[in-house]
Amino acid sequence: METLIQNLVAAGTFGGNTEIVAAVAIFVLSAVVFLGIAFPFAGIVSWVERRVWARIQSRVGPNRVGPNGFLQWLADGVKHVCKEDVIPNDADPTLFKIAPYLVVLAFTLPWAVMPFSSSLILADMNVGILYMTSVTALTVVGVLMAGWASNDKWSLIGGIRSAAQIVSYEIPAGLSIFPVILMTGTLSMQGIIKAQGWAPQHWFLFANPFTFIAANILYISALAEGNRTPFDLPEAESELVAGFATEYSGMRYLFFFMAEWGNLFIIGAIITTLFLGGWQFPHVTNNIIAMNILQLITFNAKVLFLVFVSMWVRATLPRVRIDQLMTLCWKYFVPISFADMIGAALWVAIWPDGNPVMGYLMLAGGIVLAVVFVQRVIFYARRSRMELYFHPTI
Amino acid sequence: MSTLRTEEMTLNMGPQHPSTHGVLRFVVRADGEVMREAIPDVGYLHRSIEKIAEKVGYHGFMPYTDRVDYVCAMFTNQGWGMACEKLAGIEVPKRGEYCRVIAAEFNRIASHLLSAGTMGMDIGAMTPFTHAIREREMINDLIEELCGARLTFNYMRIGGVGWDLPPGWREKALAYLEHFEPILDEYNALLSFNKIYVERLANIGIITPEEAIDYNLVGPNLRACGIKWDIRKDIPYSAYQDFDFDVPVGAGEWGKLGDSMDRYMVRIREMKESVKILRQALHNLPSGAVLAKVPRNFKPPAGECQIRVESARGDMGWYVVSDGTGYPWRVHVRTGSFAAMGIIQKLSAGLMIADLVTLIASLDVIAPEIDR
Amino acid sequence: MSAFAEYTRNIRDAVTSIFEGMAVTASHFVRKPYTVQYPDRTAVRVQDTLPFRYRGILEVDLEICTGCLACERACPIDCIVITCDKDPKTKAMNISQFDIDIAKCMYCGLCSEPCPTGSIHHTTEFEGADFSLESLIRRFVKDPIVAYKPKKGPETDPRIAPLLSRGMHFLDQWAQPGGEKPAAEEAE
Repeated sequence: METLIQNLVAAGTFGGNTEIVAAVAIFVLSAVVFLGIAFPFAGIVSWVERRVWARIQSRVGPNRVGPNGFLQWLADGVKHVCKEDVIPNDADPTLFKIAPYLVVLAFTLPWAVMPFSSSLILADMNVGILYMTSVTALTVVGVLMAGWASNDKWSLIGGIRSAAQIVSYEIPAGLSIFPVILMTGTLSMQGIIKAQGWAPQHWFLFANPFTFIAANILYISALAEGNRTPFDLPEAESELVAGFATEYSGMRYLFFFMAEWGNLFIIGAIITTLFLGGWQFPHVTNNIIAMNILQLITFNAKVLFLVFVSMWVRATLPRVRIDQLMTLCWKYFVPISFADMIGAALWVAIWPDGNPVMGYLMLAGGIVLAVVFVQRVIFYARRSRMELYFHPTI
Repeated sequence: MSTLRTEEMTLNMGPQHPSTHGVLRFVVRADGEVMREAIPDVGYLHRSIEKIAEKVGYHGFMPYTDRVDYVCAMFTNQGWGMACEKLAGIEVPKRGEYCRVIAAEFNRIASHLLSAGTMGMDIGAMTPFTHAIREREMINDLIEELCGARLTFNYMRIGGVGWDLPPGWREKALAYLEHFEPILDEYNALLSFNKIYVERLANIGIITPEEAIDYNLVGPNLRACGIKWDIRKDIPYSAYQDFDFDVPVGAGEWGKLGDSMDRYMVRIREMKESVKILRQALHNLPSGAVLAKVPRNFKPPAGECQIRVESARGDMGWYVVSDGTGYPWRVHVRTGSFAAMGIIQKLSAGLMIADLVTLIASLDVIAPEIDR
Repeated sequence: MSAFAEYTRNIRDAVTSIFEGMAVTASHFVRKPYTVQYPDRTAVRVQDTLPFRYRGILEVDLEICTGCLACERACPIDCIVITCDKDPKTKAMNISQFDIDIAKCMYCGLCSEPCPTGSIHHTTEFEGADFSLESLIRRFVKDPIVAYKPKKGPETDPRIAPLLSRGMHFLDQWAQPGGEKPAAEEAE
């Protein structure tokens, strides 16, 4: 992105004032490209999630607006924009209005360091992953603000729960990033991806047992930070009506949920970058543009798979209670991730360049796990004696 | 240094709340997430059904009994039918009793499925709910074929049942039972044995056997406390003495005896027992009439009677006073949900707000049954 | 049990039970949805898939109505109003009003049970939404009609015979007190 702009500037396209024009061009381009991806993505995910849920629940799901209901998200968006924006009398109007924007801000900022391909990244910061984890945690400010400003007890409980949850889960999430940083010695998103290979045995997920555990803890913690089931306590519709969003309506309500769905992509992107080899693709062509497109597809496929998994998890699991959430974090994840970090450090001390045999062993273990899982799926599908039906849409 | 000022907050949970199973209201005094007390407030669904009975006559009241507990209307039908039969000394034909048992046990499965499904939903698992509802719809399809309605059945009559089993229904019902058992195991794998689910329910809302008796709990709630008391077994009515089935009681495998998980598991096991009863009933169905001869202008002799039915929510009592006219002088229904509501206030102290919804769900409280 | 053993057991239980749960939900990706896409994307009209005994909106075949008022008496909520008067000249029973308020009706089926000819019966129709309460009152009598008189022996009028046989089919569904008539399902 930056290189493109610099080339244009060097060619004298903009005449004088090159510095300002370059800055504005970067701003506009990034706004168009990245927000043009981010917001529709959040919308489309909402539709995909509803369809995935529906199939799991023996239902059909929204399939009327557009082909297979694909435009449902657009219809929902228009509906929300058209709705009245109700602000309760006793609410704090300023905070009440600001809160959704903060949540959306926390959702858009990470896109700046999203490594879509080897050259398609807005800013390859040398503290990329640190930046990513810190700006996503901004959500808590917005959610807490929403809960407080609504002047509603349900909202307040939701907001406080969210604060406790996000702040607590930052610790295991942060600790789980360490094994990878220890192995690569860099915080840059591109640097981490370049340290991995395209083949699964070269992914950090299968590098050694400690990274495997770290990947799982990071994924679960990220779900908790993104307020996803089984950690959707701040919304907990069966307990808190709608949690922090109880008093919101219309566009502001939509902002919260757009951020939630969009966060799925960010969760997936963090895991993909750190553990699943990011955009790494075998070098099949020398054409830079073709290569970049292949890398973009690879990266997005991995992320979308993780997004799908989190939808699937959400459809499967019940919600934990707030004290169990804290128990899980402080009694299980924090000690395990500390031990995990030490183990990973020892591993790096013993094999500074990684252990190639372990990669294959871990991969074999992963394949065995997947096979066992598929067998269980077939077992359940057979035993229910229901009609098998392989059509992805209906 | 002054002390931090902390105060309890009063939360108003209901009558419009997503998880109060109808129109219930709880006034919750909470210290943060921990409840000090939850005071149930009933009466939002009162429709004076008992008074209506005094105005519509004996035959005409049957459809109203559907509305006493619309989740398991067969049992309320049966209770009213049995009370009137006892008043007038009518004997129901054997086949009629079997039809009643078949319909009622199907309805028990449907009711327990709804209870188990909403339990999952209250804990945030959406999928088990739709799976449970899917199975319940299949039962509803069967009952619809039997009597033409899916919810307010009005299947039973004074002296028997209104419809005999339609041709081919028996085979369909047996086929459904074959299908249902693996689905129940699958449901257990999906929800009941899930670690998060067990953690949410075990050791929550523990009722000791003494408390259960003191608070007049009935049905699965009572049996979950380890007390083996089932009207079907202990005071057999209808045709239940013909069937071989167990009465599942709580054992406290996951936590202490009488916790929410026990109440939930007792219902799951009762579904399996109902399947057993249904198999026996469908295989040994006697022939003959299903409805005794009852005059259309039904006037039982003056007197009073009290009968007990083991409904899906436990011991349901019907008390009818007749003054010899075509209209009952007084009708009273004693339902399990009302008693279950009483114990919530005691159990709620010290639980978390999230536990209140699971507690309500585990007691299987149905709002219309509380208020009638 | 030592604390550490419980700790590891908790982790193991959580992992295995979640694994099983995920397998159950994954198996639903290859199962057919159970729901139907009412109202427009069903293979046949939903009304046609309903069982014969379905208790939908009431319908009256006035041609075979005897004017006996059994249904009006049986109705617990008085949603049926029938007016019958005797023609002073012909001594025939005239039905001048037969109204059913389907807004009040609770579809209990008690009215069709005592009907001697099956004239009043439930259809499988259930889509009753309308813009006014008034239009929910079904008025079956346009012009006063002479009540049907059951004949001895089979019905000969070709206009009425199919209606009567259909009415009798509705009646056959009901359980017979004492079981004089064979039940719908033959006893084995």
